[in-house]
Amino acid sequence: MTTRRELLQFAGGSAMGLLLTPAPWRLITDTALWSENWPGIPRPARGEIRAKFTHCGLCAAGCAVRARCVGEQPVSLSGVAGGLCPFGVAGHHLPYHPERLKQGNRKEAAEAVARAIAASGPERRVAVLDLQPGRTASWTYRRALAAIPHGVYIAPPEPACSLNFAAARMVLSLGAPLLDGFAQPARVFAARPNFRLIQAEAMESRTASAADEWLPVAPGTEAVLGRAAAGVLPVRQAAEMTGLPEGRIAGMIRALRENGPALIVAPQMTPEVLAWNIALGAWGKTVMPRREAPVPKTWSKAAPAVALETVKDGSIGALLIDESVGDGHLPWESIRPKLATDAVVVAFAWTRSGYARHATHVLPAAVYPEALGDVPPAVDGVNAEFRLTVPLIASPDGTIDPAEFVAALAGLDAKDALRERAAAIHATGRGKLCTYADGKVAAVKDLKPEDFWKALSTGAAWTGDAEESGRTPRIAATFAGPSSEHWPFRVAIETACAPALASPLIGKLTQESHLRLAANRAALHPREGFLDGTRAAIETPYGRRIFEVTVDVAVPPGVVLVAGGPEIADIVGADGCARVVRI
Amino acid sequence: MNKRYGIVIDIDRCTGCGACMLACAVENNVPPLPAANDRRGITWMRVSRIDNGEEYPERRSAFVPMMCQQCGVETPCAHVCPQQAVDVDPATGIVGQMPERCLGCRYCMAACPYHARYFNWWDPSWPAGMEKTLNPDVAPRMRGVVEKCNFCHGRWHRAKERAAAAGEKDIRPGDYLPACVEACPAGAIRFGDLNDPASEVSAARKEPGTFRLLEKLGTDTKVYYHSKRDWVRQIAFAPRPGKENVRG
Repeated sequence: MTTRRELLQFAGGSAMGLLLTPAPWRLITDTALWSENWPGIPRPARGEIRAKFTHCGLCAAGCAVRARCVGEQPVSLSGVAGGLCPFGVAGHHLPYHPERLKQGNRKEAAEAVARAIAASGPERRVAVLDLQPGRTASWTYRRALAAIPHGVYIAPPEPACSLNFAAARMVLSLGAPLLDGFAQPARVFAARPNFRLIQAEAMESRTASAADEWLPVAPGTEAVLGRAAAGVLPVRQAAEMTGLPEGRIAGMIRALRENGPALIVAPQMTPEVLAWNIALGAWGKTVMPRREAPVPKTWSKAAPAVALETVKDGSIGALLIDESVGDGHLPWESIRPKLATDAVVVAFAWTRSGYARHATHVLPAAVYPEALGDVPPAVDGVNAEFRLTVPLIASPDGTIDPAEFVAALAGLDAKDALRERAAAIHATGRGKLCTYADGKVAAVKDLKPEDFWKALSTGAAWTGDAEESGRTPRIAATFAGPSSEHWPFRVAIETACAPALASPLIGKLTQESHLRLAANRAALHPREGFLDGTRAAIETPYGRRIFEVTVDVAVPPGVVLVAGGPEIADIVGADGCARVVRI
Repeated sequence: MNKRYGIVIDIDRCTGCGACMLACAVENNVPPLPAANDRRGITWMRVSRIDNGEEYPERRSAFVPMMCQQCGVETPCAHVCPQQAVDVDPATGIVGQMPERCLGCRYCMAACPYHARYFNWWDPSWPAGMEKTLNPDVAPRMRGVVEKCNFCHGRWHRAKERAAAAGEKDIRPGDYLPACVEACPAGAIRFGDLNDPASEVSAARKEPGTFRLLEKLGTDTKVYYHSKRDWVRQIAFAPRPGKENVRG
């Protein structure tokens, strides 16, 4: 008879013996394989792999982009002639951002604007704020506003000139993020081995760390070196203001004059910066007139661009803001005084992070790479260019094209504006067309209009012929005194080209590593007396924002480093003055 | 002849933009992690900021991209793995990681002198809709396993398939590039076969100022760094560049 002991021995022995068979190990492997593919883990889509081409619409650089697509879905983006910035690399994630706007009441907004137009007058105007002027959509706004009574077209100033990095041998950058989003990375880095870069900046930015020479000037005095180089400020005075030795400034000026062609670059290429370049003899060599692609003659009736500062306070009854494109931001506190007390503000946006926070109506717009449009002339485009942001995927139902919305208010049909402009370019017979898929370059005069448009709408780029620079503009280089001492800090923005929202993968740079500052953090030198992780407020003439403090010895005293984006752009003026207070 | 793929990184050209980190995550379906921090984040390619230790204004910085250094001899992670989930491919020299075999003991993370391995703390998840953008050549992996840079092995397979379809025996130079190399706007990262004397990396690794990290360990790594600055070259003797001497 079998005893209980024998039964237990058999069971124990069987269990031990089972371990010596492949069965349990096979089970572990199968479980691991199953857990790798269990329904909770997304599966990549399958389909035909092909390449599509477009231009990045996140900033005015408009880099050429090659998209690897599975069927119609882009799964990765890369540059055509060089690399993209990190925002461009992950640009195809934007349509799926959790904070994406998808709904808005178009009818309600259109009725509110129509009422405002009906009530408009010389003291109560209808305005469009275009954050990226120079596009075909900008022309549509200008044409529409010329037709709307008391319409006014407001745009931030465009660069006063174009820059030719390929021709430069010496570049003096006055705090411009030259190697970190200032211009097309492909063009800048292709030209980089040929020029010596001197970066004048209070803190050692990314550009400063990779420059041939970094001039650590006192915060907010970068422009002083431009004035000294142009000869409108004595070297001695420049040395006192910047804190640099006289000999170092004199050596820099000598190098610029003797080792040219030279180029002075500032974050904003204002007429004053152009004047410094002209004084250096850069006109026609490294600094060129800004050229725009031709437009149809029928577009000649267009409202002129107006600077926000020149608009009378309280005179805007309806403001339509196009922030569907990536860059450009004016502080809200500089816009608000221009509005009437009961003004209608319509924001065309794909996220609530920007002006949508202040608008009375928010309408969802398509985002790159859904939106069809064109890119304005790049700051480093020597010749005129026409580059389309070709949609890689369809925009969701309910998104609104801001240009078509504004055109409809004026009774214009602007649906084919891009095609009309392409036809006007083709009609000139000038320039050449580069198709990225095969790398071929063809003269426009050898192409039929249909082929020209077809190529453009599949990601090709038109470049105008080289033109003479013409007569040197007469712009006086001036000297302005230092700004107020009530604002002891200067705000340094780490990522000048930061869009309103970026791919969630940007957290790899800000959260999962310390490569870039997160949007809620501000970095200060330990000498300022703030503790890591505490909260502080940055106050400027435009407003106040609360940040978490990161203590960083790489930030010089007197500078507060922030990440960038619309929320900080809302409170930082052109001079970057601020004060930091404990909370 | 077997290949020995390697990378040469010019630290003097790197601006620390982070495009390589993003391109790596996009290519290898590494998800964004909402609850992650610098200890738990998964960054197979991580760019660290280093400095010369001086005070402002004498302070100078540089950026060092760090990934698996692809040890060729006495590969520490392969030695300690009880599951044989780590393997050095003799045909390419790439240190491969097989997540299906990994049991998540993390011995390899402890053994790696370069802190280049990352533990998957969570099941991969993407914001709704973003899973459509996943790379079809790379499967998303489950939680509980260790992973690392594998020189974009999916791209190597793709290049092999293309070469076979074209009737060629081998991959032509330039047909296979890891995502970080392709993405770097500054051209700071170069890639190629170290066994091929005609390759760019073969010449670049012999240039003055080129070094490997922790060369004294004798692991024959296949990632080389280059800098003309003496203080930058001191990172060759540090356990890991930058302040992030932490592990996931």
